Amino acid sequence: MCLERCKGELMEKKCTLKLFVLILGLSLSAVFPLYAIAGEPTDQVKQTVDAVIQILNNKELKKPARVEERRAMIRETVEKRFDFEEMAKRSLARHWKDRTPQEKKEFTSLFSDLLEDTYIKKIERYEEEKVVYTDERIDGPYATVRTKIVTTKEMEIPVDYKIFKKGQKWEVYDIIVEGVSLVNNYRTQFNQIIRSGSYEDLVQKLKKKALK
Amino acid sequence: MKKFNLEIAVGFFLLLGILSLAYISINLGKLEIVGKSGYTIYPEFEKAGGIKPKAVVEIAGVEVGTVKSVAISSDYRAVVELSIDKAIKLQEDAIASIKTKGLIGEQYVQISPGGSDKLIADGGKLRETESAIDIEELISQYVFGKV
Repeated sequence: MCLERCKGELMEKKCTLKLFVLILGLSLSAVFPLYAIAGEPTDQVKQTVDAVIQILNNKELKKPARVEERRAMIRETVEKRFDFEEMAKRSLARHWKDRTPQEKKEFTSLFSDLLEDTYIKKIERYEEEKVVYTDERIDGPYATVRTKIVTTKEMEIPVDYKIFKKGQKWEVYDIIVEGVSLVNNYRTQFNQIIRSGSYEDLVQKLKKKALK
Repeated sequence: MKKFNLEIAVGFFLLLGILSLAYISINLGKLEIVGKSGYTIYPEFEKAGGIKPKAVVEIAGVEVGTVKSVAISSDYRAVVELSIDKAIKLQEDAIASIKTKGLIGEQYVQISPGGSDKLIADGGKLRETESAIDIEELISQYVFGKV
């Protein structure tokens, strides 16, 4: 079309320039499809959320015989993005410093089991919910990615991911659902258990819960 | 001579009266003239839930400071200026939450101390916050049902 309209050498030059700009624009948008809209933190959170949704939507994996496999896949995907050690450290707060390196390791694994048991069952009930990314705020090495889960009944649940930069990756250290912080919730509970008993009591309780 | 002494006595008592009046008004009004020895931190909230200056800041139910002022930031978040007692050290991962005493009681700021080695300096920012939970919103969800 464009070439047809172009007559004379001058016009042709203009036309090729236009074509060039068009091609450049198209190729750029193909290379950076998302970067124009969202920043790096949102992008990385979205990657993980999308990967989990993909596993959940996989019809093959929905079969009852493959429940365990599906659970393991979700676990693996989530573990890449969540810094369970940082979450455990923040939840234990003052009591973290008194622990030996071995205790810290044991507690982190117990804590991640607790989170996975509690939340994977919730995630598994997922049915066509949508995740909308509303806002992102970066403050040095820390950032907040604000999202909303829109259920099939059009109810909105605000979920904020608190993330921090660890090397090249952004990792989650807290989740705020409906304004309530996950870390603060566990911090209060753990503190109460340690105060009224001991750190060993807390470990026993977590172990018992994991066995259920 | 006698008259002069009487005038001094009257003046003395008047001065005493003014001073005690000033003391009472400062004490009752909780005015800070000299400024309490404390440091300031700035948590930012999504929703301040109508917290007002002079509201109490608590750790484990004990008053450790007060709200100095509430302002709005350029991206429409609530910046709450807190004055904290000097003796209280706050870690970088401490979490500030706006809570309500009882169902309709006054609002206050609760801080749950963290475990980080880094402390928040004077004039520093408290990054981790929990906004006020809107009870009205929850009630309306309950009354009108969740859609």
